[in-house]
Amino acid sequence: MGFWTAFLTTLGIVRRRVSILILGLDNSGKTTIIAHFIRASSVPAAPSPTSPPPIVPTVGFSLEKFDYENLNFTVFDMSGQGRYRELWKHYYDDTDGLVWVLDAGDKERMAVVREELWSVLSHKALQQKKIPIVFFANKMDLEGSLTPQECIAALGLEEIRDRNWNIVASSAVNGEGLNRGLEWLAGQLKER
Amino acid sequence: MNLGKKDEDSDAGLFFHIDKSTVLQEARAFNETPINPRKCRLILTKIVYLLYQSEVFHTQEATETFFSITKLFQSQDTPLRQMVYLLIKELSTVAEDVIMVTSSLMRDMNAKSDVIYRANAIRALAKITDSSMLQAIERFIKQAIVDKNPSVSSAALVSSLHLFGANKDVVRRWANEVQESINSKGPITQYHALGLMYQIRQHDRMAVIKLVQNYSRGSLRSPLAYCMLIRYACKIMEDEEPGSRSLYDLLEGWLRHKHDMVVYEAARAICDLRDVTSKELFPAVSALQLMLVNHKPTLRFAAIRTLSKLAMTHPAAVFPCNLDMENLITDPNRSIATFAITTLLKTGNEASVDRLMKQITGFMNEISDEFKIIVIDAIRSLCLKFPAKQSLMLNFLSNVLRDEGGYEYKRAIVDAILDIIYHIPESKEFALSHLCEFIEDCEFNKLAVRILHLLGREGPKTSKPSKYIRYIYNRVILENATVRAAAVSALARFAVHLPELRDRVKVLLTRCLDDNEDEVRDRAVMYLRIIDDEDLCKRYIADETTYSWPSLERKLVEYVNDEAAHSSAFDISTTPVITAAQERAERARVATAAAELAVPTLRSTQGGPTPSAPSSTPAARGAVPSAAGDAQAGYAAAMEKIPELAGLGSLFKSSKPVELTESETEYVVSCVKHVFSEHLVFQFDCRNTLNDSLLENVNVVMKLETSEDDDATALVQDKAIPIQRLIYDIPGTAYVVYSRPGGVCPTATFSNALRFIVKDCDPSTGEPDSEEGYEDEYLLEDLDLVTADYMLPSYIVDFKRTWEELGEATEVTETYALTNVASIKAAVQNLLQLLGMHPCDGSDMVKDKATTHTLLLSGVYVGGTKVVCRCRMVLGDDGVTLEVTARSPDQDVGRRVVDAVC
Repeated sequence: MGFWTAFLTTLGIVRRRVSILILGLDNSGKTTIIAHFIRASSVPAAPSPTSPPPIVPTVGFSLEKFDYENLNFTVFDMSGQGRYRELWKHYYDDTDGLVWVLDAGDKERMAVVREELWSVLSHKALQQKKIPIVFFANKMDLEGSLTPQECIAALGLEEIRDRNWNIVASSAVNGEGLNRGLEWLAGQLKER
Repeated sequence: MNLGKKDEDSDAGLFFHIDKSTVLQEARAFNETPINPRKCRLILTKIVYLLYQSEVFHTQEATETFFSITKLFQSQDTPLRQMVYLLIKELSTVAEDVIMVTSSLMRDMNAKSDVIYRANAIRALAKITDSSMLQAIERFIKQAIVDKNPSVSSAALVSSLHLFGANKDVVRRWANEVQESINSKGPITQYHALGLMYQIRQHDRMAVIKLVQNYSRGSLRSPLAYCMLIRYACKIMEDEEPGSRSLYDLLEGWLRHKHDMVVYEAARAICDLRDVTSKELFPAVSALQLMLVNHKPTLRFAAIRTLSKLAMTHPAAVFPCNLDMENLITDPNRSIATFAITTLLKTGNEASVDRLMKQITGFMNEISDEFKIIVIDAIRSLCLKFPAKQSLMLNFLSNVLRDEGGYEYKRAIVDAILDIIYHIPESKEFALSHLCEFIEDCEFNKLAVRILHLLGREGPKTSKPSKYIRYIYNRVILENATVRAAAVSALARFAVHLPELRDRVKVLLTRCLDDNEDEVRDRAVMYLRIIDDEDLCKRYIADETTYSWPSLERKLVEYVNDEAAHSSAFDISTTPVITAAQERAERARVATAAAELAVPTLRSTQGGPTPSAPSSTPAARGAVPSAAGDAQAGYAAAMEKIPELAGLGSLFKSSKPVELTESETEYVVSCVKHVFSEHLVFQFDCRNTLNDSLLENVNVVMKLETSEDDDATALVQDKAIPIQRLIYDIPGTAYVVYSRPGGVCPTATFSNALRFIVKDCDPSTGEPDSEEGYEDEYLLEDLDLVTADYMLPSYIVDFKRTWEELGEATEVTETYALTNVASIKAAVQNLLQLLGMHPCDGSDMVKDKATTHTLLLSGVYVGGTKVVCRCRMVLGDDGVTLEVTARSPDQDVGRRVVDAVC
């Protein structure tokens, strides 16, 4: 980054670009979370007469951009379906941060989440880069969901000692907790 | 550095020295942030260039490249995005998991703003999607089909066409949207929509007719769409009963359309109609005539090409255009001029020939060899049409023969001259002298050898044979070994046929003994040895017979492959012997078949594809439709592949196919009878003409019905090979094998029936509706096993001598009264069919009103026994009285032949 851009960036005129990867099992709420941030960052125009398009399962991945806290986020919203999880690895190389969304109401699949998470974390590309991770314990609005503490225990998060991480209780449908999580991530990214 | 070098460099430009590994290295730039669109575009271009140069990308490389390309979706740069689509399409077949970009492409195709790449996204999406994903994107494609942007809706329609192949049921659900887009404003959209609609409705005849009639009323804007309609209309009429022309009026109406394209398509369609009448042709030819004077060369070319094709079958219909076509001879476009000339040659009358030939002479120097050959072919057929003009034509041909030209061109000319000699005997001497001059300076050995052979054959029969000897001997002095050897053979023929020249030729041949080439010396020695011996000459030089090459080859291959047979010598007597004339006819047939194959390719280089045209050369007309030896070799090869039939030994004779059903029934079956040394094989070729049923396990049940022959009881059914699945319109073959112990050859009648399991199925996909089928039986006509099935026609040189050699001792005679035969001609035809023998000495030719006739026949009976047969006929008031006499070393065989007649 040249001197001039660096100067402008400090002044907050040019926003720094960061790219993050958003992972998690299918039906955990990744695309919904992104949709929330896009809505928040776009200029509040007149309320559009048409309702936003329904969220459908992502096939492959989709690329979204939005601004948050003076950062320009490029988000790779990966599909969580089984056949696509193998393909996440193609995108580890140039990511600055990781967002992991878990369905806190889905106790049956916590073991699957754990397995997937640890296989991601132990990947060579992510071993070298100590990028920060934020966990969204999503679907808090549903009754009987696990609390963040229970999630930590279920996934064995306390064993992550080599990088910064945080877990936030959230509800993507009403936007609760989402900002708190992303704020933390933005703070981490700015420090770097 | 010189200028030329610089030019070369700038030509290849950026892509001059690129290789795969460097480019893949560069492709890492895709992972950088921020993305540099310009740079990435360039790298993408290089990858596409490599792909188009057929550089092989391994799956892993391709997949890695593909995934780094997916990161370029970050950039909003439009040209870059389009380039990305291009790469996705190219890599979709090589890389794995290309389905990864589905969501991204769907976003792009539904982009709100009027971005230019929505159409590209649809096309890329259709390429990467598979049947399992189609459900998910179905809604979006349906939306895109009715999009108001024509490029988007066209892209969706074309993509649907591609998807239709593998996902017929899904695409069929979009019919309503497609219907809507036919009525849309964009001309190209209409065209694509119509094409897709036809694919969807294809199997529903009534729906297609409705489609054509609906849109023929001028609601379409696209001329291309009209052309499609015309083709569909033709397709409908093709499937109709011959003679009915339900949609002809529509075609005729389109001749007055405002677009030339539509007019031409309609005119061509009318010209291509089956059994078209001159009344129907008239408006089409008038339309084409108008195009001949159009200022656009493409139109002139299209029109003249169609007329040229039409002239082959309906010269009279093209005749009114002659005047316009004559003007086209001077057309600056040489292709048009060539077609004009060849068409005129076909339609012209005797009077105009002189003028035409003059124009052609000037014109020949300006066109390429390929076109020259077309002209030569046209002249050849013209010459055969107007024999009176042959000297003019021969002059022309010999003139062009002296011009520069490649081998193919020269060969066409020599072929033309040989053909003229063959068909117009009075031209012979004149043509021969031209050919003699040609070989004086001929750079093509093959042609020189052919001409020398011809001189050897025809020269002795001319009025002054001695003058050719000089030309031939000149070759011996001046040419290379191949030509010298041919010349020696030609000289020998003169010596044999002309006793008065014999001594002088012998002197020449003696000189050849000093030749430094073995072949030439050997030939000279042999001919000198046999010239004076009448018998040897007859055997080696005057013998006009030869073996049937395809069957000789097959027999030899069989012999070489069969270890057990090596202990004895190869037996050539089972190979059919044919005359030189038959050989020639066979060769002509092969040549025309090849020509018909070659014609479309030649044509297609000049314009659009055309169905292969019926050749008008005399060779084609005179050719036998199919030679028995050829067909038999095909059957033998097919049976060799079936393990159950492979061990039966060598095939003696295959009969012609016998129809066991009417041609219009549900199932069409024909049977070919094969005779092996110890077995009989019945080959049933079956075709299912019902598109809504699928037959499985199709067995032919054969039962020996009646036989007057005691041997028939010895026949035992050995095995039957069923057809596993008989799908609509795809022929299948079932076999039934009978063993005939001890080589008995009875005549008998068999009753036949098909037994099978029927399943109802969907007419369009051919998939059965349910797993359950029901058994059914279908009766076929009876099949006769006759003496002719055991008889191989074989030519013999000298019938009389063979007849005498066999002697009266082996003779079997019987007299018959054929009451239901009206003429000698019919009787001869019947006999040829009944006995399956070869007519000798042209005795199958009968004068129309003959009252007596003798038919001489020869053949080889199964097991290799020679049979000759004499049939004397007298036409009386109550039919034909027939006396059949057969002579054969085996009297039993003779008896069978005679009995076969009753």
